[in-house]
Amino acid sequence: MIAQLDAIHQDAQAAIEDACDEAALEEFRIRFLGKKGALTQAASGMRDVSKEDKPAVGQKLNEVRQALTRFVEARSAQLLALKDAEAAKGIDVTLPGRRPQQAAFHPLTQVMHRGISALRQMGFTLAAGPEVETEFHCFDALNTPEDHPARNEKDTFYFADGHLLRTHTSSVQVRTMETTKPPVRIIAPGSAYRRDEIDSTHLSVFSQMEGLYVAEDVSLGDLKGTLERLFRAIFGPKTPVRFRPHFFPFTEPSFEIDIKLQPKGQDPRWIEIAGCGMVDPNVFRQICESRGDDVYDPDKVTGFAFGLGLERLAMIMWGIPDIRLLIENDQRFLRQFASA
Amino acid sequence: MNTSLNWLQDHIDLSDYSTDALSDLLTFAGIEVEGIQERGAGVDHVVVGQIKSSDSHPGADRLSVCQVDDGSGSLRQIVCGAKNYKVNDKVPVALPGAVLPGDFKIKEGKLRGVVSNGMMCSGRELQLTDDHEGLLILKTDEATGTPIGELFESDTLLELEITPNRPDCLSHLGIARELAALAKRPLKGVPHYGASSVTQQPAKTEEITLEASESCPFYTARRITGVKVGPSPDWLKGKLEAIGLRPINNIVDITNYVLFEMGQPLHAFDVAKLDGGICVRLANDGETFQALDGNEYALQTDDLVIADQSKAVAIGGVMGGEDSGVTEGTTDVLLESAYFTPSHIRRTSRRLDLSSDSSYRFERGIDPAQTIGASELASKLILELAGGKAEDVLLVAGEVPASPSPVMLDHGRAQRLLGVDLSEDEMGEILTGLGLESQGAGAWKVPSFRGDLERHVDLVEEIARVYGIDKIPAREVAFFAEPSKEDARYDAHHQLRQRLVDLGYDDCLTIKLISDAQLADDLCALRLGKQNQAVPLKKPLSQDHTTLRPSVLPGLLDVAERNICQGATSLKFFEIGTVFSKHEKSPKVLESQQLGIVLSGDMTNASWHGETAQADICDLIGLCEALFGGGKQAVTMRRLEQESLLVAAEVLLGKSVIGRLGQVDPARAREMDCQGPLYVAEIDLAKAIKPSLSA
Repeated sequence: MIAQLDAIHQDAQAAIEDACDEAALEEFRIRFLGKKGALTQAASGMRDVSKEDKPAVGQKLNEVRQALTRFVEARSAQLLALKDAEAAKGIDVTLPGRRPQQAAFHPLTQVMHRGISALRQMGFTLAAGPEVETEFHCFDALNTPEDHPARNEKDTFYFADGHLLRTHTSSVQVRTMETTKPPVRIIAPGSAYRRDEIDSTHLSVFSQMEGLYVAEDVSLGDLKGTLERLFRAIFGPKTPVRFRPHFFPFTEPSFEIDIKLQPKGQDPRWIEIAGCGMVDPNVFRQICESRGDDVYDPDKVTGFAFGLGLERLAMIMWGIPDIRLLIENDQRFLRQFASA
Repeated sequence: MNTSLNWLQDHIDLSDYSTDALSDLLTFAGIEVEGIQERGAGVDHVVVGQIKSSDSHPGADRLSVCQVDDGSGSLRQIVCGAKNYKVNDKVPVALPGAVLPGDFKIKEGKLRGVVSNGMMCSGRELQLTDDHEGLLILKTDEATGTPIGELFESDTLLELEITPNRPDCLSHLGIARELAALAKRPLKGVPHYGASSVTQQPAKTEEITLEASESCPFYTARRITGVKVGPSPDWLKGKLEAIGLRPINNIVDITNYVLFEMGQPLHAFDVAKLDGGICVRLANDGETFQALDGNEYALQTDDLVIADQSKAVAIGGVMGGEDSGVTEGTTDVLLESAYFTPSHIRRTSRRLDLSSDSSYRFERGIDPAQTIGASELASKLILELAGGKAEDVLLVAGEVPASPSPVMLDHGRAQRLLGVDLSEDEMGEILTGLGLESQGAGAWKVPSFRGDLERHVDLVEEIARVYGIDKIPAREVAFFAEPSKEDARYDAHHQLRQRLVDLGYDDCLTIKLISDAQLADDLCALRLGKQNQAVPLKKPLSQDHTTLRPSVLPGLLDVAERNICQGATSLKFFEIGTVFSKHEKSPKVLESQQLGIVLSGDMTNASWHGETAQADICDLIGLCEALFGGGKQAVTMRRLEQESLLVAAEVLLGKSVIGRLGQVDPARAREMDCQGPLYVAEIDLAKAIKPSLSA
C-alpha cells in the first residue's frame, strides 16, 4: 500500500510537468484526485490494511493527497501567471489614456462662488429674495422717487398687477432688514431684469451680487476695507482698487469702484467693476416705517451696501468679448473653464 | 457735458494742471471724465496758404490741381477735391511731414498721376470745427506760411459725466466753481451774475399771465427792440463750436452761450409772431404743438405750455415752437428766463420722449437765483452783438423759489461715518470752499446752486469727496457668523453642481424669459400641473421673451439643439435655477429652484480604444437615484403617461414626488437632429434636498 502510494506520487510528479494548460491540469486533477482517480482508488484499499499499519498508511495517504493538491495549486497559479503575462503583452503604457468625461462650472457660477467664498470668510451670510418684486421693495424703500428714470415701463418689466421683475438685487437688502434686526451682514447673489435689448454688452436678465452691512458705527473705512479685500480675493492679492465718488439714490456717499487689470495684449487700465456707498438714511427710515420699530433709526445705525454685475466680472476675468456667450452654453465655450 | 478748457479758464486759472491731472481731480471728486479731445493743438507743419491758381485735373473730373503759396517763396502743387474755394482764398495747408488728428500722415505723392505736395484741409480734418463740407476758408490777414496754430487757439474738450444730483455742474461756470473748491483757489474775478441792476417790474396780466405757478413758480421776460439778426462774431462762434454746437444766429447763439456759461436755459421769441402777451398755462385737452425739431406733439393737460393769446408757442422748459422762433427777419425779441419745477419738466419730457439741453437742466434743477442774472447777461450781449434797445424793466411774474435751508453738521457723527480723524476746521474749510457759509453751532448755509445739499449726510459726502476717499484708511474687520438657511441651501446646491460637473454634465445658465412657442411645450405643462399657470410679462421686449419660464427644460433643450448644430455628440447638460408659476386661484407668483437635466449620446469620451457607451434611460434613472437617494429614503420611479415623452416616470423620494424624467418623443429629437434617444429630467430641489446646516 505504501509503495503504491509512493508510485502514485511519483507518477503525479511526472504528469504535472505535462499539464501545460488548464484542460490538461483538469485532466490531471481527475486522473489523480477525482472520484475515480488513482488516489481515491488507492484510498479505497485502506479497508484491507491491517489495524496496526493503518496509522502509517493513513498518514502516507494524507501526505500524498496534500502533495498532489499542492501540485495542482502551484501549477494553476503558474498557468494564471502565464495568462496574465500574455494578457499584458502588447500594452503600451505610453499611449494616451481614456479620460473620464469632464464638464465645467459655468463661468458665472465660478465668479459668484469666488465672491461668496471671500465674503463668507469675512462673516457675511447668504440671503435671498423673490425675483418678482413689489415696487416698494425695488424702488420706494430704496429712496428711488416715483419719477426716477428707472421706474417706467421702458426700463423695467412690470406685470399687470403692478408687480415687477426686480431691476437689482438691492431689494434683498430691504427684505432682510424688514425681517432681521441689526447687525446684518448679508450677500445676495441672484438675477435682475432690465428692458435692455440683448447685444454684445447687454442682457435683459443678468446676475448681480448685493452686499449689505449694517451695525452701529459702520464707516466708509469699513466699506473700503471689505471691498478691497473682496476684489483682491477675486482678482489677486496685489490688484489695485480705487473708489470714485458717484451717485445712487440708495446710498450717500456713493462710489464706483475700479480695479486695475491688464487685459490680454493690452496696457493695464482701470476698469469699472461695482457700485457701493453708505446706506442712505432715507432707506433706514423706510425700513423703520415698514417694520414699525426704530431698530434701524439712522441716528443709531449706519451701514454700507454694494452691488456688482457678475457677467461683467466674468467677462473681465477671462477676457470674454461678448456677453451672449454666457447664455449660449456652447460646450466648447463652457469647457474652456473646466480647470479655471 | 462737453466742456472747453479754454472756456473754463475764463473763470479759473488752471495753467499749472496737465490734462491728466485735471482729469483725475474731477474724476475723484465724482465728475467722471469720459473722454478728452485735444483740438487744434500740436499740429505742426500746417500753415496758412493762398491758392494762386486752380486747373482741372487731366485724369479726374472731380479733382483740381492748385498752385499754392505756402510762404516759402516757391509755389507748391496740391491736388484737391474740394470745390468751395476761389483763387486767392487762404486755406490751411498741411505740408509733407504733418500728422493730422487721427494719425493721418501727410506725404508727397501722386493723385491720379499728378504730383501733390501736401493737402489743403477742412475744419474737421484739423479738428477745429465740425465742418467737412469743403476747405476751411481763412478770413485772415496773416501772411502765408504762418503756422495755423497762431490763428486757432488750441483747446482741450473734456466730456464730463455729471451725476443727476449735480445740475449745478451743467455749465462752465459751475465746473469752474467746483474746480475752485477742489484745487483750493479762487475764481478769476467772480462774475456777479446773481446781482442785478435792472429794475424788476411785476408784469401786468396782459403782459404775462402766470396760471400754472406750481409748474412754473417764476417767469421773467424782457423785450428788446430793433435788433439785427445776423451771424455771431468769431469769439462766440468759436466758443459754441468748441463744445460741438452749430452756430445759428447771434440771438440764438447768445441764448446757447448763456446756457453753457451759467446753466440757465433761455428762450427768445420773435415778438412779431406773438399774438399779444404771454400766458404760462397747462395745455388744453387735445392741444397739439409743432416744435422746432419739426415734430408735432400731442399734449396732455398736465403739460406746461408758454402760450400767447391764441396758441402755444413753447413747451415750457422743453422746446420752443417752429413758428415763434428768431429768424433773419426778426427785429424785436422777447427774452424768456424762468424757473420750472423739475418733476414737472421731467414728466413731460419723458412722456413726449423729447429732451433738450434746456429740459435736461430744468428737470435736474437749475439755480433759481440765476434767473435774472442770466437774462441780464443775455440782454447785454444782444445789445452788444445785435444792437437794438432793451426795455428798461424786466417783467417778472411769480416768486423766486426759496434758497435751500441751512444744514447741520455734527462733527463727531461725520467722523464716525467717514472713519477718519478729520478736525472740525478741516471739514469746515472744505464746506467753505464749496460755497457754504458757517452760521455757527454746526449750521451751514447752503448756496442757491446746491439744492442737492439737504441733509447731514449730504455734507458728509461733500467732505469725503473733496478730502479724497483714497486718504480714508481701509479697515478690515471679520466676524463670526452663524450660517443662514440660505447658506445651507447654497452649499447643498453647490455640492450638487460639483457632483454633476464631476460626472461630465455641463453647468448651464439660460435666460429665464421664454417665448410663447417654448411655453407651449408639453414639458412646461408637465411641470405646471393642472392648477398652475405660467406668468406672462405685461409688455415683453421681444417675441422670444414673453413669459417667465415655468420649467428649465425648454431652455436646456435649446442648449442641446444649439450644441447638436455645433457637432456635439455627448449632450450632458444641467441647469439649477428659478422657475415661476402662479396658482390659478391666487395672484401670488411662486418661485422655486429646479434642477433640469438633458442627456443624450456618448456617455464616455470618444477615443482610439473603441466604441463609446451610449446614454439610455437607466443612466438618467441611476443618476437621480445616486444624487438624491443617499439618505434614509430611497428614490424610486413610478410609471407616467405623458404626451411628449415616449417613456416617462415620476421620480419619488420616499412617498413624495420630487420630479419627472423621461425620453423625449423621438420625432421631436429627430427634428433637433439628435442622433440617439434624448432624455430629460426636472427635479424640484426644495423637495429633493433638505439641506442641513452642518452640510
